[in-house]
Amino acid sequence: MSAVDLAELRPCLEGAIPAMMATCAADGTPNVAYISQVFYVDERHVALSFQFFNKTRKNLLAQPRSTVLVLHPLTACFYRLHLRYLRTEDSGPVFESMKAQLAGIASHSGMAHVFRLLGSDIHEVCEIERVPGDPSSTPLPPAPPRCNLLGALRRGSARLAACATLDALLDATLQTLEQDLGIRHAMVLILDPVTERLYTVASRGYATSGVGSEIALGDGVIGVAARERTPVRIMHMASAYLYSRALRDSLAGDGSAAISTDIPYPGLPEPRSQLAVPLLSAGRVLGVLFVESPLELQFSFEDEDLLVTLGGQLAAGIDLMQESAEPCPDMPGTEHPAAPAKAPAGPRLQVRHYRSNDSVFVNNAYLIKGVAGAILWKLLQDRQRQGRREFTNRELRLDRALRLPDVADNLEARLLLLQRRLAEQCPQLHIEKTGRGCFHFDTAGPVELEDVAA
Amino acid sequence: MEHPAAPPQLNRDLLDMMARGVSVIVSACGHDLTPSVMRALGSQISASGDFVTVYLGQRPSAQLLRDVAASGRMAVVFSEPSTHRTVQLKTRRARLREARPEDAAVLQRYRLAMQQELGGLGFGPAFVSAMFAHRIDDVVAVEFTPDEAFDQTPGPRAGQPLGGPAP
Repeated sequence: MSAVDLAELRPCLEGAIPAMMATCAADGTPNVAYISQVFYVDERHVALSFQFFNKTRKNLLAQPRSTVLVLHPLTACFYRLHLRYLRTEDSGPVFESMKAQLAGIASHSGMAHVFRLLGSDIHEVCEIERVPGDPSSTPLPPAPPRCNLLGALRRGSARLAACATLDALLDATLQTLEQDLGIRHAMVLILDPVTERLYTVASRGYATSGVGSEIALGDGVIGVAARERTPVRIMHMASAYLYSRALRDSLAGDGSAAISTDIPYPGLPEPRSQLAVPLLSAGRVLGVLFVESPLELQFSFEDEDLLVTLGGQLAAGIDLMQESAEPCPDMPGTEHPAAPAKAPAGPRLQVRHYRSNDSVFVNNAYLIKGVAGAILWKLLQDRQRQGRREFTNRELRLDRALRLPDVADNLEARLLLLQRRLAEQCPQLHIEKTGRGCFHFDTAGPVELEDVAA
Repeated sequence: MEHPAAPPQLNRDLLDMMARGVSVIVSACGHDLTPSVMRALGSQISASGDFVTVYLGQRPSAQLLRDVAASGRMAVVFSEPSTHRTVQLKTRRARLREARPEDAAVLQRYRLAMQQELGGLGFGPAFVSAMFAHRIDDVVAVEFTPDEAFDQTPGPRAGQPLGGPAP
């Protein structure tokens, strides 16, 4: 019996072929049962789905040793895992990842009404046995190693390392996914820790960019990945994890919600595979890198490994961009060039700002709300009253009216969101980075400002 | 612990399913309560379900066969992958014998049935052949009369005893 590393087994744990679990009653009566999921926790542990209180469970509680038979989906090689049951978790990262995955397995196998995860049984892997096959038959070849993955990661890493702005960092990430990994549908969302919502700052492969669309922490695959700080990977989509627009709030329901300020979520209408990876830096969740596909079984554990790694560099980069407040060559705010005498050419813009939620409408069309809306309102007022065009991140941080949180204000991401939303919806208003911690704001036509107390 | 006097009566549908050739997993248990487990290379069941043979490779199932030889106890699950219909049989009276030349035809029929069953789920014939590859001189037949049968189809009835002994 040769020792085997759990890494060799990871293809067996993708849910293509159910595993079999043998347990024993105290009187020595054997029992064997199908297990929907054997979930890779780390090099020494797996988690098995606990769905029913059955004989297997009764045996485990009395006698923690079990033996699990798995089959490699490409080589047809059998492995036996010798396990020792440790504990059951009914919340947290492993449980939530398994729950999302099981929902997919259940709907794929017509068992959506039967399979429900009650807990994740954590087992220690005592030993792994590669079951000796028939020596006279030719073994099936394993999949060729995806060495291109490491090359793709390296190219992506080099691209990210060369970025000096958040804008470029996000584009480099999405470009790597598309060009080097063939992942055509992806988005990056940033977490607002105050409102506990994630907002889209970049996307690729959708009919509309969805920049500015929001998802609540804990909602669906993306929200669960952020809340539990764990990757969530689904190989067969389950309706339970599809986003429903009905679930999302519009204006804080006070009856004034006649006009929706809900930017549509850009995702695929019928995704079959999804993978959401939390962006972690210095132990904090900054956001989520999310990919999906209209085809099943598109993202393997190797894709997950790669996205977690690339996501680590992206998160560190986002943090770095956030902190960089390199002063601009000449600090604005000291002297303001006078507003040009003649009004800028271009169509007139009527901008209305609602104080209750800082939503901003341009010519009666919804543009943005929240902190980004408050920033835009400040820029418009300063542009009109003082003729200013140059601004710094620092002055926005010091402006109490903007209500930026003291810690993790995500200002750089909010500015980028505003910049991209303007470029998409209202190109007459324009933000451009002019250096670290400073930017240029201008209007391409006369602007009328109206502040509404409601 | 109950000792049913007669083997449980399985309904015709289940017997047909088991006779046709579906996934068969065999499990036993050592003196130290360590479970052993392996997929069978084939199976055969009498018309009334009172006599069952499962086939195991000596190399891949060495510990399992030792445990069965020592205790006579065995749990065997028959499951139809396409429908999840599953039944578990238990025995305290399993007996080992070497495979005979006529068993080769049984194993061949079983492999073809599994190629059809698993083919419907997207597993090619080469893969299924590799799953059940064996040399007949390495095969051991385990014969038994079921003492108990349980429904194991996922759902609310899972774990229920099936058709007790005929009244």
